[in-house]
Amino acid sequence: MAVNPSQEAVRGAPGEPRSAGAPVRQSSLWRDAWRRYVKNRGAVAAALVFFLLLLYCFAVPGFWKIPGIWTSLRDVDPYQIDFPNAYASPSLAHPFGTDNFGRDLFARTALGGQISIAIGFGATLAILLIGVVYGAISGFAGGKLDNGMMRFLDALYGLPYLPFAIITLAIVGVVNFWTMVVALSIASWFTAARIVRGQIITLKQNDYVRAARAVGARWYRVLGRHLLPNTLGVLIIAIFLELPGVILGEAFLSFIGLGINPPDASWGSMAQDGRDAYRRAPHIIIVPSIAIATLVLCANFIADGLRDALDPRTRES
Amino acid sequence: MALLEVTDLRTHFFTREGVVQAVDGVDFSLERGKTLGIVGESGSGKSVTALSIMGLIPRPPARIVSGSVVFDGRDLTALSESELEDIRGKDIAMIFQDPMTSLNPTLKIGTQITEVMKRHLGVSDEEARKRAVDLLEEVHIANAADRLNDYPHRFSGGMRQRVMIAIALACNPKLLIADEPTTALDVTVQAQVLDLLEELRDSHEMAMIIITHDMGVVAEAADDIAVMYAGQIVERAGVLDLFDRPEHPYTEALLGALPQIEGEGIREGRLTAIPGRPPDLVDPPPACRFAPRCPYANRNDSCTTEPPELREIRAGHWVRSAHPASERAAHAQGAPA
Repeated sequence: MAVNPSQEAVRGAPGEPRSAGAPVRQSSLWRDAWRRYVKNRGAVAAALVFFLLLLYCFAVPGFWKIPGIWTSLRDVDPYQIDFPNAYASPSLAHPFGTDNFGRDLFARTALGGQISIAIGFGATLAILLIGVVYGAISGFAGGKLDNGMMRFLDALYGLPYLPFAIITLAIVGVVNFWTMVVALSIASWFTAARIVRGQIITLKQNDYVRAARAVGARWYRVLGRHLLPNTLGVLIIAIFLELPGVILGEAFLSFIGLGINPPDASWGSMAQDGRDAYRRAPHIIIVPSIAIATLVLCANFIADGLRDALDPRTRES
Repeated sequence: MALLEVTDLRTHFFTREGVVQAVDGVDFSLERGKTLGIVGESGSGKSVTALSIMGLIPRPPARIVSGSVVFDGRDLTALSESELEDIRGKDIAMIFQDPMTSLNPTLKIGTQITEVMKRHLGVSDEEARKRAVDLLEEVHIANAADRLNDYPHRFSGGMRQRVMIAIALACNPKLLIADEPTTALDVTVQAQVLDLLEELRDSHEMAMIIITHDMGVVAEAADDIAVMYAGQIVERAGVLDLFDRPEHPYTEALLGALPQIEGEGIREGRLTAIPGRPPDLVDPPPACRFAPRCPYANRNDSCTTEPPELREIRAGHWVRSAHPASERAAHAQGAPA
């Protein structure tokens, strides 16, 4: 039988530069996603503010101490107590003012941000980890196991998440980074598990999964190679969807006194400190509250932009 | 002994609406180096037959309720999942209808080809890549060595189907099942892919099953043809015999429905269609499944009371009907006497 080399094959004949004929535009999923993301101005602005906030929280305390640059202003220690200066309003020496112990709020807000953000991301990652494992098993196994696991999840769904976090902290009795992460993730991974399960079930219908099975791929290879990598997009979105709730949860727990122990601080516990003196020195409660609101708002906008960029169903042409 | 012997295969789907008898008593055998074409309209059970052979039917809701699939002396329906996994891709390979979605978009095609060889042949990375280049050249993809590093989105539909074929051939299978291999392709590319399949069948000495609803495809590529209707094979014959002397009223109607551009007996006006619709497989007609649409069935004969058997009406030509064409002719001749 004579062979008809296909047109495509001819186009890329050896020796011929590949760009001959119709050049194939280099375009990857991530590049496409980036292009779509930067089109969304709100999301770009949110990402910028988010980045500046991170820079402030993690880099400013360090910059502050660089000799010869900032020390001329004042070497600020977030733990430095200075009673004569307590309740000072924002000024050049204390851009955000000072708290009831006279500690500099500009430095303390950065310190509190470090802890809030670390706990926020830590708990979010824990939520996703549990969600991915649970959801992937459920969606991949299917049938009775899936049904059982999902009904169990339905039962858990009724659990209120903050009371559950409070109970967890009360039982453990110790409040530190790790117990906060556990308390915040223990009753909030259900949605993540559902998202992953749904995604796995959708992906399972794909022809390439069938094709992989048709060449004898074992189940763990199908799951690890063909299913999980393709859930990366929704997972990245889920990080920024979960983050605001977790940060708010942490702030709430700290606000009611179940959070990080003094003299360390999180934004929630700083707001709690400010509550006692909100008439005399409103800036003490306002500063951390604005920080929390900004972070939550940014995370929401970023999640929105990422969803438009990464989720093929909502893509414009 | 035949390479593949399918006997009385029944695959049913147990759904809330009832039991769907998607494949209901399919028999055929396939010799080494031969091509069998399975033809039928959507929902006639062609694909489910293929998936049953591969052990890839979705369980639940589907289950093989009876029958055997003897491949190379082993009954595939009796094997465990892990034994089947060792056979899939090594001894039996399958290519699917839509090449646009059959490759994982997140993996380079080199990875996807070598994966199979590493899985079944235990070859080294380097060896697998070398073989992958040969395979791509064999399916006529130029610049094979470079293209291993490309992702699927840089390939056109026809090229992707070639890559799928290369993956299927990676372990020199004894049987290749092609489920509508050309349906999703442009007409010009269809012919090229069919030619390629035929060429590879000869060079690799494999048997092949081509599943299609396109009579033109099987006419070109198959040695034998099985026509499926409502989960059953209604006619099975060599390709020339089937096209020259179709026996089953359904096959006749199918061939009659082919559009013709020129030649003898060309029809004018509208294209011919088969009246009625394929039966509901939850509750199929009790006897002959084609009876409600058959122009020759009448209320008084066995068509509505007794299910017809698949019988050999002449050497190598099997038909499941009470009114095959040759008997109708004989009857018409005998009547005036």
